[in-house]
Amino acid sequence: MRLLTHNMLSSNIKGVVNGFPLRIEAEKVVEKTVEMNGEFLKKMFEKIDWKAFVDASRAMGPEEADCSMLDSDEFLNRFHHALLELHLEEGALVCPETGRRFPVNKGIPNMLLHEDEDTDGEDSKDGLTDIWKVGVFSVTG
Amino acid sequence: MVHSVLKASRFFCPPREALGLTSAISGRVCYSAFSSMKETNFSIVDSSSNTVAPTREPCITDTLSVNVNGTTSSMSVQCTPEIEKKFVHHVYDAIAPHFSSTRFAKWPKVAAFLSSLPLGSLVLDAGCGNGKYLGLNHDCFFIGCDISSSLIKICSDRGHEVLVADAVNLPYRTGFGDAAISIAVLHHLSTENRRRRAIEELVRVVKKGGLVLITVWAVEQEDRMLITKWTPLNEKYVDEWVGPGSPRVRTPSSVSLESIPESEESRSREHMNVCNEPNVSRDLDEENNIKNQQEYFVPWHLPYHRAEISGASADALAAGLAIKDDKKGAVVYNRYYHVFSEGELERLTTGINNARIVDQFFDKSNWCVILEKTL
Repeated sequence: MRLLTHNMLSSNIKGVVNGFPLRIEAEKVVEKTVEMNGEFLKKMFEKIDWKAFVDASRAMGPEEADCSMLDSDEFLNRFHHALLELHLEEGALVCPETGRRFPVNKGIPNMLLHEDEDTDGEDSKDGLTDIWKVGVFSVTG
Repeated sequence: MVHSVLKASRFFCPPREALGLTSAISGRVCYSAFSSMKETNFSIVDSSSNTVAPTREPCITDTLSVNVNGTTSSMSVQCTPEIEKKFVHHVYDAIAPHFSSTRFAKWPKVAAFLSSLPLGSLVLDAGCGNGKYLGLNHDCFFIGCDISSSLIKICSDRGHEVLVADAVNLPYRTGFGDAAISIAVLHHLSTENRRRRAIEELVRVVKKGGLVLITVWAVEQEDRMLITKWTPLNEKYVDEWVGPGSPRVRTPSSVSLESIPESEESRSREHMNVCNEPNVSRDLDEENNIKNQQEYFVPWHLPYHRAEISGASADALAAGLAIKDDKKGAVVYNRYYHVFSEGELERLTTGINNARIVDQFFDKSNWCVILEKTL
């Protein structure tokens, strides 16, 4: 998982008001070179949440992003490196409100929720009550 | 700090002219090429005590909650119904490598859509399967997600940026993407509310002005013979998982639907739990029923040698979720489909107030729509 991807991931657990950014627990970080595209980087720079990006890059290793990059001639190279070439291989993404850990294995985050985490937060506001629960997929032959 | 690492070509490649590259850049990369990749290991950075959410047991029985008005509450929308767990998720996990080997041809309409996106677009593929379309446009950055970890592993092995996620509850911030695609995904969702929710999610995750391409299998299949290989799911069965009070797309018939003639494949009734009435009156308009029929099990034949590799088939056979066909030397799985009727995609989208249809078409037995996010 790259930091660009991390910058757009959010915890979608029921009741969470702001699930972004997920806190990174890095156990293993890998670097993979990729060709640089200045135009693409400029577009991404406008898109990303800078603070979340800087904080996340600190969790990924010593090659961190910081505001001085904005003045540096090497800006594009360092931005590119942190945004696209650092991969979280093993670790977790932690929901900032609930502490729920979304595991990252072999570079793949698993963002699936458990059964009781995935209902809409709007339910409680409606004040609707369940009058009965219907069992589905009952086999009646 | 300069690291010398193996240069890798990725799907995301800038125009060659821009960088003056002389070496050829291939569009694919396999992890096996990263033999001399430098790895930097870090211990867990965050050692502060934090609240750990207690682990929850996944609920065994799936339920629908119904509110006082008798309509299905939104509580059910994101909870995966049993039919999808058994006849979509489980099946794709079991057949993933075989399925992937058959999915390589790029559909021209999808390719054209992706190729038309401006340079530097961030494209989200929700339900990316084996990642066939990831990286199709070398000037864009693709993020794929799928509910099947087996399929996502295949994508990851090919070097794509992917994650395991649910199309009905995408883990992306609102408005971040430039475009999104949903290719042959929504027809695996078993309720109208979930199908609509998935479309809302696609619209949510793109920016204002962002485009969304959706394709789904059509009722109106061009190859009518293909449908004879499918198992129609009858009215009573549909009621059990859709639940009372859900909006119905088609006019419910008062009698059981006559099943469409089955193919020669053996299909045990107990295994498939399909209520086919054997003695339905032949006075029913068969053609009309075919037109109204939208719920199907579509078979997937997993060759025995493939099934042994995956290992999941032994459990599936034991649980009655798959059967053996010795004549064809394959384990037969069934995938749940709700095929879409003409205008159904459009109708689902009409209720979404921050998107408008910019194009819609029928192509190769699929209904397709392109949406633009307006707010």
